[in-house]
Amino acid sequence: MAEVCSPLRIPLIAGHKKAATVTEDVCRPMLRPPSGLWWAGFTLAFSLMLLGVAAVSYQIATGVGTWGLNTTVGWAFDITNFVFWVGIGHAGTLISAILFLFRQKWRTSVNRSAEAMTLFAVMCAGIFPVIHTGRPWLAYWLFPYPNFRGPLWINFRSPLAWDCFAISTYFLISATFWYVGLIPDLATIRDRLAGESARPTLRQRLFAVFSLGWSGSYRVWHHYEVLYLLLAGLATPLVISVHTIVSWDFATAVIPGWHATIFPPYFVAGAIFSGIGMVLTLMIVARKVMNLEDYITLRHVDAMCKLLLLTSSIVALAYGTEFFTAFYSGNPYEQFVFRNRALGPFAWAYWIMVSCNVLAPQLLWFRGVRRRIGIVFALSLLINVGMWFERFVIIVTSLHRDFLPSSWASYRPTIVEVSTLAGSFGLFFTCFLIFCRILPVIAMGEVKAVLHVGQASRPVQETTV
Amino acid sequence: METQYWRSLAERENPSELARAAEAEFSENPLQQIEPGSSRRGFLKAAGFAFAGAALTGCSRAPVEKAMPYLVQPENTVAGRAQYYASTCGACPAGCGLLAKVRDGRPIKLEGNPDQAISGGATCAVGQASILGLYDSLRLKQPLAGGKPSTWAEVDREILARLRADGAVRYLSGTITSPTKQAAIDRFLGQFRNARHVMYDALSASAILDAHQQTHGARVLPHYRFDKAGAIASFDADFLGTWISPVEFARDYSARRRPPEMSWHAQFEGRMSLTGSKADRRVRTAPDEIRERLAQLAIRIAKLSGADDRFLSSASARGWQTTNDDGLPHVAERLWEARGRSLVVCGANAVHTQVLVNYINHLLGNYGATLDVEHPSRQRQGDDRALANLLDEIKTGRVAALFIDGVNPVAELPEAPGFDHVGLVVSFAGSLDESAERAHYVCPDHHFLESWAGAEPVAGLISLTQPVIRPLGATRAVVETLAAWTGQPVNAYDLLRQRYPAQWDRAVEAGYVAMEAPRAPVKPFSMAPVELALAATSPEPAAGYTLALYPSVAMLEGRQAYNPWLHELPDPITKVTWDNYASVSPAAATSLGVSDGDVVRIEAGAAVELPVVVQPGQHDRVIAVALGYGRKASERFANLGPRWIDHRPSVNDQGRVGENAAPLLAFEQGSLRYDRAGIRIAKTGRRIELALTQTHHTLTVPQQLGGEVRPIVQETTTAELGKPPEPSEQREELWPEDHPYKGHRWGMAVDLNACTGCSACVVACQVENNTPVVGKDEVRRRREMHWIRIDRYYSGPSENVEVAHQPMMCQQCDHAPCETVCPTLATVHSDEGLNQQIYNRCVGTRYCANNCPYKTRRFNWFNYPREDRLANLVLNPDVTVRTRGVMEKCTFCVQRIQEAKIEAKVLGTPVKDGDIRTACEQACPAGAIVFGDLNDPNSRVARLARDARQYRVLEDLNVGPAVRYLKIVRDGGQAGRPVPQGDKKNG
Amino acid sequence: MRSRILTIVLAVGLTFSLVLLASRLTAFHLPGNHQGYEPVQPIAYSHRLHAGELQIQCQYCHFGADKSRHAGVPPASVCMNCHKFVTAPLGALRAEDELAEKEKRAPRPVVSAELRKLYDAIDRAQPIAWTRIHSLPDFAYFDHRPHVNAGVACQQCHGPVESMERVRQASDLSMGWCVNCHRDSSRTGVAGRPVSPSINCSTCHF
Repeated sequence: MAEVCSPLRIPLIAGHKKAATVTEDVCRPMLRPPSGLWWAGFTLAFSLMLLGVAAVSYQIATGVGTWGLNTTVGWAFDITNFVFWVGIGHAGTLISAILFLFRQKWRTSVNRSAEAMTLFAVMCAGIFPVIHTGRPWLAYWLFPYPNFRGPLWINFRSPLAWDCFAISTYFLISATFWYVGLIPDLATIRDRLAGESARPTLRQRLFAVFSLGWSGSYRVWHHYEVLYLLLAGLATPLVISVHTIVSWDFATAVIPGWHATIFPPYFVAGAIFSGIGMVLTLMIVARKVMNLEDYITLRHVDAMCKLLLLTSSIVALAYGTEFFTAFYSGNPYEQFVFRNRALGPFAWAYWIMVSCNVLAPQLLWFRGVRRRIGIVFALSLLINVGMWFERFVIIVTSLHRDFLPSSWASYRPTIVEVSTLAGSFGLFFTCFLIFCRILPVIAMGEVKAVLHVGQASRPVQETTV
Repeated sequence: METQYWRSLAERENPSELARAAEAEFSENPLQQIEPGSSRRGFLKAAGFAFAGAALTGCSRAPVEKAMPYLVQPENTVAGRAQYYASTCGACPAGCGLLAKVRDGRPIKLEGNPDQAISGGATCAVGQASILGLYDSLRLKQPLAGGKPSTWAEVDREILARLRADGAVRYLSGTITSPTKQAAIDRFLGQFRNARHVMYDALSASAILDAHQQTHGARVLPHYRFDKAGAIASFDADFLGTWISPVEFARDYSARRRPPEMSWHAQFEGRMSLTGSKADRRVRTAPDEIRERLAQLAIRIAKLSGADDRFLSSASARGWQTTNDDGLPHVAERLWEARGRSLVVCGANAVHTQVLVNYINHLLGNYGATLDVEHPSRQRQGDDRALANLLDEIKTGRVAALFIDGVNPVAELPEAPGFDHVGLVVSFAGSLDESAERAHYVCPDHHFLESWAGAEPVAGLISLTQPVIRPLGATRAVVETLAAWTGQPVNAYDLLRQRYPAQWDRAVEAGYVAMEAPRAPVKPFSMAPVELALAATSPEPAAGYTLALYPSVAMLEGRQAYNPWLHELPDPITKVTWDNYASVSPAAATSLGVSDGDVVRIEAGAAVELPVVVQPGQHDRVIAVALGYGRKASERFANLGPRWIDHRPSVNDQGRVGENAAPLLAFEQGSLRYDRAGIRIAKTGRRIELALTQTHHTLTVPQQLGGEVRPIVQETTTAELGKPPEPSEQREELWPEDHPYKGHRWGMAVDLNACTGCSACVVACQVENNTPVVGKDEVRRRREMHWIRIDRYYSGPSENVEVAHQPMMCQQCDHAPCETVCPTLATVHSDEGLNQQIYNRCVGTRYCANNCPYKTRRFNWFNYPREDRLANLVLNPDVTVRTRGVMEKCTFCVQRIQEAKIEAKVLGTPVKDGDIRTACEQACPAGAIVFGDLNDPNSRVARLARDARQYRVLEDLNVGPAVRYLKIVRDGGQAGRPVPQGDKKNG
Repeated sequence: MRSRILTIVLAVGLTFSLVLLASRLTAFHLPGNHQGYEPVQPIAYSHRLHAGELQIQCQYCHFGADKSRHAGVPPASVCMNCHKFVTAPLGALRAEDELAEKEKRAPRPVVSAELRKLYDAIDRAQPIAWTRIHSLPDFAYFDHRPHVNAGVACQQCHGPVESMERVRQASDLSMGWCVNCHRDSSRTGVAGRPVSPSINCSTCHF
């Protein structure tokens, strides 16, 4: 990825860093004991996670009845959370794969943590399809495997079955991608740790093992970059496919409000939207706490805000299109569902969604706003909320009043459901905080490549990838 | 060396099974389980075994099952084969004939006896549910003396010792339709100088009998023949729901409601009853206006008849002038047109009112046609005046011995009689109800499925009750008990057999026998009482709130309060479960400032506090409250339903289900009055969250959301039916023809015009398919499990509302949305058009339920407790009991389909139309549900599928439901004037 | 030194347990599969003797097979049809006769130990608790009628019962086993006659 960066450009990394200082800055938080702030965050996150564990154990022991669902509203928090987390999971791959292919250099500062975020988000997402079943201990029946039942396979027509494949594939690829990206940095740390003590500590051994004997030679770098490029190519279609498939869970149903052809693009855009939102949230915190302001500069924030603006507009368009399709279809059931969304019992949820996902992001048209960290942070939080409600609105308002008025019902979450949601956040942040401690949050190797230092010293001809 | 496997330590040790053998007489005993032995030897073996590494296989072994054959197999019983015994329903005095299905020694289902005149093959919800009473674990297992368990010998000795020949002996019972029992009682009372037998009905028709005493000189209850009635005017008589003999009436009534020829039916009532919901013309009439209306009607009919100037002159003398309100002219006209084929019935328990009714029927010449007084009904024989006297005697301590049989006066009467002054109180109650509690002795009677008995519901029709299982406790039939006390012990079987020696075998086989009954001694109609009645009636309109106490379809007078099925059965009109309530009209609600769930205090002498239900179509001055709730028997439901952090009990603060409204009843002129004028009603400020199974009551979506009407229930007029149906437009079929349906293609037709909403099908389905009871809290959460529900929709203005009942079960779609989405293939299509649900393959994603446009799928949110091992004996062994976390739904009673197909295969004959009848179809008194093979062009269902009225719900979705609905005909009876007597096959 | 001993011990232990395990693995079944189940019965009734040697028809005792779901375990009264008279094996009777002749006395009635159990059960009016061998899970409904009446031989599912001293579950009774037979027999037919067994789920699951 070493390429010429014109000296005329504004540098991606501020503060005239040297390669050494980069390593220094990035590794510092890992090598010194955790700060009180970290501990505070970790304690909070971890206790939330424990709450979630308790809730889920109780629910599995007692029955799905401990959720507020009913005959009419068969899904609510469970699938909402699932789609929400899968959505969050999208930014990572987008940034690392697509932006990489588009040679967006600014990604280098954020891709590492974005990918980590992806993994943790997908982990959270993966939990829900399992625990939402009535008999989670049989959830493995969703996968095809040889058996003595005739044999009996799964229903390949069911989007839920496709989901299983989509999610697991996505997790595997993202994990690989992330790990491969980590290798050079793991090696760096391995070398820094070396000589710390006479007998190699466990930590050293681990870094040694996982850096796969990286030597940093030209050959190694070459192979590495080819592999990385290929993986990027492999991951790119997933960004589109995963959420497309998730959207089919609804699009292939007959329920008005689900049964819509625009769902795939709509969901993908939404996913990226929410993903970037979450990345921003985390990045802004990280750069403050781990003082990485020089690496994650306002320029990065600005770039991501632009992405937000784009995806927000796509989402807004989708909202509008839904109403238009309903109106144009002339189908009374279809039309009712959307009137009911905007004016029915769950209107509050709908308007939260609109104001968070459509109205608020409009501020980002202004450069001033994009570069004011505080506001951007607030916006990113709003977007997380808004996108969660988007899924809630789609699922619950479509279900609670469908065809037969006799079976119209309402929905109220129970404490168990709320705790489960909280728990998923707990899991997410616990993982992320641990990640910040034990691994480099910024891809040092890549950052060094976009530094100004050494550009002159490095002859152009040898920098072909 | 060949290995020998064993499934548990118990088996390895091979202990003698004899101890267990006693418990297990059935080969399929669900209670049976063997607990693994845990002796030292067992442990050592286990250890050794584990070391051998075969724990791999050992750990998965199921507990050992025992197969326990009879020692001597009873004749023509084969394990696993159901047998049917003809019997008679004992749930109410109506006396419907039954066929009791007995499987491996235990009755598991009751069906109507098609040949018996009252049932005609149908049952009601209560009858269906009454089988659970047999397995009621709180039933008394032996006689009680002073509340302590005792023995029959002891009890007999003590009671006989305490019986004085000179003391006043009173035998208080409900209507007794059994001649045998009547004889036994008479014989018993014959021993005493001062003895009297007092009958009363908690749901009294005493006034009707008294009125006929006055007008016809014989205290009889006419046998109403709705099958002959072309025009019906009902004044507060809920004859389709609860009045006297609902199954018979509903069947006869709907037989005349088959378009295009339809009878015409006007209903004058204060509350919205099941009957009112089916009426062609419904006139809101407060109970205290009814007599005045009847007088008006009488005058009009008298005018039309041209006869009887005496009556008219006396009427005008009393200042009666005919007003043109309330469509009375029209009603009079229709009745007069159909004279001789019309019928006027009245539910009011007031003699003067009933006299006027008799007069009108007399003028219309309906006696001998639609009312049979010569071969009267015996389904109500209670005498309120006699009851009033008895209560007075009891109060003043003039009763030496009181025997209570089949009634519960303490809970059913306005004021509970105090037994302190009664020397001896003996109750025959099967379980410890409010009255039995206070009795000195309780001599429990059998459940009707355990005993020999005969009933004569209608003069000349002897309906036999035969035991289908040996008594589960040391209970004794009342006739035997009485015989024992009379000094000539005899068993019920001999007693009964001696009575009908000639027809015995036939009677036992068929379950009934028709005998020549003596003609009741009726005299020609006498005018005098009519004059009195008119004199007692004032033309002035009444004012102020009126309380109407009525029996609910599920609870009736309350003898069913022990029955969870009936508590969970939604009221056909309000859709409320697990409660009684005060229903008020929307106008009244606004003026009282209350809405659904607000608790009001109703005072009429006594007081009760009940939640409000706002009921469209109700009279603005009427507050309606159901009787039969707040019973001791319902205390058992305190722990019903799944237990979890957010669980709320099914009972109220008093620990019972609902409130007992009986204290609000009153005696007026010697008859029990179910309506009280001038009551006080006030808001208490408390709220109760009602458990409703339907919360949106119309097919019109809310105004601000578009306000369009959904064509879920479709209606038509007889005029429309005449026209040829316009061809439906051809649609492009995107689905592949992947279901050829070469053999059978099961389908169903539901006639919305016939359906009365009586809900017999709902309970029948629950019994047949082992559907769990979930309790009030779960219903509140909209998680009731009924596989078939009856959607009820209102239309039109709230004061003159029209009601539609729509049974809704799985539609068994050809292109079922549920099938495509289930990831595990747990719901798939059969090549006979069934939408199969495979419980054991279901992991419970609920995707299918979400994607079901009809929302007929039911999910097991919890493991619904089935702790009562005795009650579990009612489970149908042919249907899997579903575990927690799986989806379930209507299967078109696939177990019955399988049974019929296999039988046909064995006999080598094709399955005939009608061989397979789903539980709902079989129970339905109105014949509204028809199941069959759509591929057979001559099957009833195939013919209905071609009917002009047929439509399919949400047809545009192209899911291809296999259930056809037949439209409601709204201008009912227009075509039916005059109603021809010809056959009514169409519809 | 120490470590070598340890290794040896471990190796020996491992091989030992592997050998033992292997011997069991031949008989390994998935959970729920009771193929080969052969419990001891309260009375050591021999199908080999009755069905094999004496050639008694299966349905003489299991008379439910063609008219009910359950073939049924015969009631004691059915046993008594013969065992009212047959009280012991022929050998035992002969022995008694010879002994009687030797001792110049009338032969005493001989009752075999197993049959004694039967007579006791009847005297005590206590049904005999046989151990059920072929049992399907509660959610699977098998019906003997269509199979027996279609002419499926009992042995096809129950194995060579007439050669079993004590009855053993011959087939694994798995769903695949049922379904594949249903599939095949619609091609091959049963007992020479064409049959059309359904493979709808609701044939067995409801």
